[in-house]
Amino acid sequence: MSIDWSDYRTEGFWDELITPKGRARTGAGNLCRVLGALSDEEIADRKTAAELAIRAMGITFTVYTGEGSGSIDREWPFDIIPRLIMKREWDAVTAGLKQRVDALNRFIDDVYHDARILEDGVVPAEYIEKSREFRRECVGIDPPHGVWAHVCGTDLVRDADGKIYVLEDNLRVPSGVSYMLENREVMKRVFPELFEEYVIYPVDDYPDQLARCLRSLTDRKSPQIAVLTPGIYNSAYFEHAYLANAMSAQLVQGSDLVVGRDDRVYMRTIEGLIPVDVVYRRIDDLFIDPEVFSADSLLGVPGLMRAWRAGNVALANAPGCGVADDKVIYTYVPDIIRYYLNEEPLLPNVPSYRCVDKAQRDYVLDNLDKLVVKPANESGGYGMLIGPKSTRQERDKFARQILANPRNYMAQPMLLLSTAPTLVDSHAEPRHLDLRPFILSGRGTYVTTGGLTRVALRKGSTVVNSSQGGGSKDTWVVDLE
Amino acid sequence: MTAHTLSSTAERSYWLGRYLERAETSARLVSVHANLLIDLPRRMPLGWRPLVAITGSAELYDSLFDDTSERNVCRFLINDVRNSGSLINSLSWARENARTLRGIIPRPAFEFVNEAYLFAREKLAEPLSRTRRVSGLTTITEFVQQVDGYMSANMLHDAHWNFLRIGQFIERADMTTRLIDVGTGTFWASAVELEPFADIQWRSVLRSLYALQSYNTSVAEPISQGPVIEFLMKDARLPRSLAYGLNSVRNNLRSLPRNDKPLAVVNRIRREVAHSNVRQMNGETLSAYLDQCQVRLNQLHDQIRRTYFDFRPRRRPVRKTRRTG
Repeated sequence: MSIDWSDYRTEGFWDELITPKGRARTGAGNLCRVLGALSDEEIADRKTAAELAIRAMGITFTVYTGEGSGSIDREWPFDIIPRLIMKREWDAVTAGLKQRVDALNRFIDDVYHDARILEDGVVPAEYIEKSREFRRECVGIDPPHGVWAHVCGTDLVRDADGKIYVLEDNLRVPSGVSYMLENREVMKRVFPELFEEYVIYPVDDYPDQLARCLRSLTDRKSPQIAVLTPGIYNSAYFEHAYLANAMSAQLVQGSDLVVGRDDRVYMRTIEGLIPVDVVYRRIDDLFIDPEVFSADSLLGVPGLMRAWRAGNVALANAPGCGVADDKVIYTYVPDIIRYYLNEEPLLPNVPSYRCVDKAQRDYVLDNLDKLVVKPANESGGYGMLIGPKSTRQERDKFARQILANPRNYMAQPMLLLSTAPTLVDSHAEPRHLDLRPFILSGRGTYVTTGGLTRVALRKGSTVVNSSQGGGSKDTWVVDLE
Repeated sequence: MTAHTLSSTAERSYWLGRYLERAETSARLVSVHANLLIDLPRRMPLGWRPLVAITGSAELYDSLFDDTSERNVCRFLINDVRNSGSLINSLSWARENARTLRGIIPRPAFEFVNEAYLFAREKLAEPLSRTRRVSGLTTITEFVQQVDGYMSANMLHDAHWNFLRIGQFIERADMTTRLIDVGTGTFWASAVELEPFADIQWRSVLRSLYALQSYNTSVAEPISQGPVIEFLMKDARLPRSLAYGLNSVRNNLRSLPRNDKPLAVVNRIRREVAHSNVRQMNGETLSAYLDQCQVRLNQLHDQIRRTYFDFRPRRRPVRKTRRTG
């Protein structure tokens, strides 16, 4: 027997499956028993089966290997031990996510209209004016239902105290949901018998829910929906194709679309030009329309903003919604929730320090070796300082950057990210992970059951991004009642 | 909801058809040629040059290699990424096109294309013994046949399918004319002087097109240039004949919208082929005629491209009614 749970050490972290005393957590007993009964050969077989399935299904992501050498496709790194979340806990998380995204959408809509929240001094106006993600071109526009961030991927982490915190809100073009869906398919192929042990909530209604959400953004009957992708060399192209297919929508690139003199969006088909009603854009908003933003963008569609402003096409996510997806605005989200909803936040933020505030900045500068410092507008784990793992030079460099542009930085204590058993050779070791659920907002709101669990495959690492050595696990929301 | 076919996906379907066909033919060509060389006596210096000629890449080849050794030619045709027409590149392009068509072609078809590419990349890398090469190339042709079978049996026979087939058959027609062209070439001069080996190249050409058996059962004449060329150009029952390919292109065009111009071009070529007297042609007239066929096939390709892929948006877009069913 090769996975011996009595050898498994949680090492002071919260483990998702195993208690500090080496016992299975509530609900994890059956899973641990089944895994523990597998021989070395059986484990190797399952692992190979998963790799073959991933290979055969063509689940890849693209890694940029630097200029000149282009990019390569890697098979999606996947760990066969699932992560379990009890339904009861998930229901509470779901309510918290809905509340949060609701408030964020009200915030964005407010920022582009009367800006009451700035006038009332809850969020300082200068943060918005100086935000790289604020789009003056969006002021006064009324997207359907007042919703701007239709698809949100919120990163959740669990600290050593067992509590779930929101690490960040990804409101621009969050990706990963197709891997959540494919991970489940792989698990069904690899561990069919485990599905008999549990009531596992399905995840595969996501494409239908997304299609429903997008359809709710237009009054037209049987609207034409298009997924706008930067193309096959984008790291998330696999997902764009996957979702378009699963929604029966058209997968298009900028060159497939054209805006007519009537300010309507059309796609080029073998029959001629056909009107498009909703565009689910997976291109950063600075690239969607060379008439308005980056003039040299080849990815976008000239005139798209014009058509959107005229109300002739719905864009999801709406341009400009990134104004709420900013690491400094993040620190205000609890206040934003209270301001618009008059409710206490159900999901806590990770405690954060704003470098723009003198007292907080001084604390950050004095404690750089203990903190994680994040720039306001980066994603994918880039541009961060991880204090405890940094060198003196790196800290000095960050101190200078913070002093030069305090608005652009915030800092958080180093979280002790929770772990889950992850296959290393033929035994299990704890590896750190996070969770990205997806929240859809249109006429109604929908939260995925679970989400994408990303796991740092390197021992001790907390970097879960697939571009930097992360893998993923299937996430099971299970009901024991 | 997706009743519409994007010009771009139509184009990718077309190229998927072409690249798959090209991959299969090139795999087949190398195997058959190796087989032919085994049959020839040592003193006949035929060598591997004809294969370079067939693929129309002699200039590139000569810039890369000093000789036409088996090893170099095979490398060039199979796994040399510098040769845009190499097997590995054809499969790579087929895979890229198939990847962007996920959801249009059946999933197993994509998986087979993917597998074929990975197989070629891993198992057909150098150095390769002759036996391993032959069995590897056979595997490739089998993969492609499987892709073909899956798509034929399982995918929606919609406009994408039509473009896939049009691409496949234009490529096939093009390849068939090239093969005939090379069959008539001077490489064979020394071979055909020897009685037992006369017309051996036509046997090889037939075999490359899986047509040897069909020829034997349906043409009541011994194998020689005239009847073979006529069979390969005009016999509408033979899936790799020019006539069959053109008929298939026509049939698929008929299901597409706005097809008047491309149909006119294909029908014109069909008439020309039907009225040609290939048996009477030889040497220069035949060569000129085959050249003209290729020019015509290019015209057909161009017309299809202009009609469906690269058209300019009309000044005033019109709202089209959705196609039903």
